[in-house]
Amino acid sequence: MNIYDIVFYLFAAITLASAFVVVTARNIIYSAFSLLFTFFGIAGLYVLLGADFIAVVQLMVYVGGILVLILFGVMLTNKITSVQIKTGTLQVIPAILGTALMAGVLIKIFTGTNWHSQMAQYPTKTTAYALGHILLTDYVLIFELLGILLLIALIGAATIARKEEKAS
Amino acid sequence: MQNHFQEIYNVLPLVLVACGVFLSVVIEIGSVKSEKILPWFSVLVFLGTSLFSVFNLNNCGTAYNNMLSYGGNVFIFYSLFNLAAALTVLSSMEYIKKYGSYFGEYYILLLSSVLGMMLMAGARDLFMVFIGLELMSICFYVLAGINRKKQNANEASLKYFLLGSFATGFVVYGIALIFGTAHTTSLEVIVSNFGSLSHNLLFVTGMLLFLVGFSFKIAAFPFHMWVPDVYQGSATTVSGLMSTGGKAAAFSVLLIALGAVFPGNAANVFRPYFAAIAAFSMLYGSIVAISQNNLKRMLAYSSIAHAGYMAIGLAAGNRESVAGIMFYLVAYTFMNLGAFGIIAMVEGADDTNLELKDYIGLSQRHPLLSALMALFMFSLSGLPPFAGFFGKYYVFISAIKADLTWLAILGVVSSVISVYFYLRVIVYMYFKEPEPEALPVHNNANGVLAVVISAILVVMFGIFPGTLINLITSYLR
Amino acid sequence: MNLIPIEYYLILSAFMFAVGVTGVLIRKNAIVVFMCIELMLNSGNLALVAFSSYMGSSAGQIFVFFVMTVAAAEAAVGLAIIIAIFRNKLTVNIDEINIFKW
Repeated sequence: MNIYDIVFYLFAAITLASAFVVVTARNIIYSAFSLLFTFFGIAGLYVLLGADFIAVVQLMVYVGGILVLILFGVMLTNKITSVQIKTGTLQVIPAILGTALMAGVLIKIFTGTNWHSQMAQYPTKTTAYALGHILLTDYVLIFELLGILLLIALIGAATIARKEEKAS
Repeated sequence: MQNHFQEIYNVLPLVLVACGVFLSVVIEIGSVKSEKILPWFSVLVFLGTSLFSVFNLNNCGTAYNNMLSYGGNVFIFYSLFNLAAALTVLSSMEYIKKYGSYFGEYYILLLSSVLGMMLMAGARDLFMVFIGLELMSICFYVLAGINRKKQNANEASLKYFLLGSFATGFVVYGIALIFGTAHTTSLEVIVSNFGSLSHNLLFVTGMLLFLVGFSFKIAAFPFHMWVPDVYQGSATTVSGLMSTGGKAAAFSVLLIALGAVFPGNAANVFRPYFAAIAAFSMLYGSIVAISQNNLKRMLAYSSIAHAGYMAIGLAAGNRESVAGIMFYLVAYTFMNLGAFGIIAMVEGADDTNLELKDYIGLSQRHPLLSALMALFMFSLSGLPPFAGFFGKYYVFISAIKADLTWLAILGVVSSVISVYFYLRVIVYMYFKEPEPEALPVHNNANGVLAVVISAILVVMFGIFPGTLINLITSYLR
Repeated sequence: MNLIPIEYYLILSAFMFAVGVTGVLIRKNAIVVFMCIELMLNSGNLALVAFSSYMGSSAGQIFVFFVMTVAAAEAAVGLAIIIAIFRNKLTVNIDEINIFKW
């Protein structure tokens, strides 16, 4: 058991435990905050996998952007009136059985597959250079399209959520 | 330099629509008369793109490092999406005024949703499929709730958003597994290695998750639960585009990107999956539609049933079925757009005039609209000589060729069931005594034009189905 | 030195995916459902990065980058929708939003 294994189990435990809390917490604020730990644990796993750039983006986009948006959503839909923020559940048993079956099948297949490709050692170099290179060569078209996608998301969000203008 | 221009020319339809998106943003910001300019500007972009695609069918190939393909059936899909969008804009012009406010963003979002559909149809790479899918879906989430003061539009938008993102989750996980086993995301490589990959259980699982995601988008049972509410709650014209363009785009990925898998491969590993969703969707859609009184909701269930008929072709998985599904999609697009266009004109403000009983006596108040509605209902139910009949015919024939006769029989049975609720609309329009205080119909020139064009296309493809089906078959590899 | 085998990462991602799907199916609050969808997307990302590192190809990591961008766009649109519905109806529980049958 070396340091890498310990780090893996630590981050895996954080990720899974907090993911469970997201789903099971009765209070929506708890869910939102445990989502923070899930994102954090995953960022740690990315570092362990040698994907340093993605790990940083994970922290910036998910923790810095999406989670803050979610918290805004929680606060805005909460504070306005004193609606109960406790949340209930729907058809629990069949859903859990179904997904447990799915997870079981996936894990059975993962362990049964013969993985030819193995990492020789933990990578120590940064991936930013390689990622930047293929992002602007092979995938440049998708990169541009993401620009359109973000523009549209901006317009769409503003369309739906803006305040009603008075008399036109 | 020459090369770059040639490459841009090859994918010019995409460039046109993308420029249309940007220009429409500029017009909306810059012009006070954008309310008058934008609809016609978007019609112009859509029609131009559609015509360019039709005239460049023979210029086939792949562009941008095997990211996109152009020409052939891809361009047939491009022109289908653009025509559908142009008709939608024509019907929308008066429709969105009924809700009291004007939204310039409506046209921007329509243009970009069409861009997303076109990317899906042309994609040669799983990443491109994903981006196209998301671009289309995000536009639709917003378009569904565009009447944001209406509670049920909000609700439709929320349901569509939650279930659409749920489907995205499946697609992402599926792509992850496909990438992990095929070691590439290029669809060309995946298709050519399909024979050996289909023995890899993990690859098949990945594909299944991917297909589950797409089953949401094509609105097939058991992933249909969002369809009735979303189609009923959204603006009628948007429902029309979602049910036709959105469905056609999702099918285009299965047909063009993955369709090449089927002909070469006798052992179609996904046949049981497709056969199951086909059988359940057809029967469920047709049976539940009988009990619907709201026309939009009825057409939503009919949309589920039609997804089932098309999925028969996926289960059959031969050359004929790919061509048959494409023909079916073209036919379905125009007949459904026509029906939604008429509903949009009959509909009053605040969701009135959507019930079946509101159509009583429409034949006297507006003979043209009710005659066209009758035509679309006949075509949707699959009666000859309209396009809908030949769509079903080609798909059922391909199923029989693939030894799936039981599925074809099931298809015929559910078509017979569906005749009941389609013809009921006609009975209400023609053979019931109208109440004296029936609400007036606000028909308008542009809306009628859109409906008439759809009707002409439905009749044309019904009388000369051979032209289109031969064209499609000639581009199949 | 023994490395963590790729299966471990994949099993972790499968668990997370299952937890996310369960959450979507059982929770009522639209924002919590959205968080569970983020869990599903993250599990897909984890699998992609694991594959990408163990295969020595950067394409998987690029896709993760795309997924994150799309997730951000979806979050913006989704929360706008949730706020619009809350403004009109003052609830975000999906079974109280019942003009239609769910």
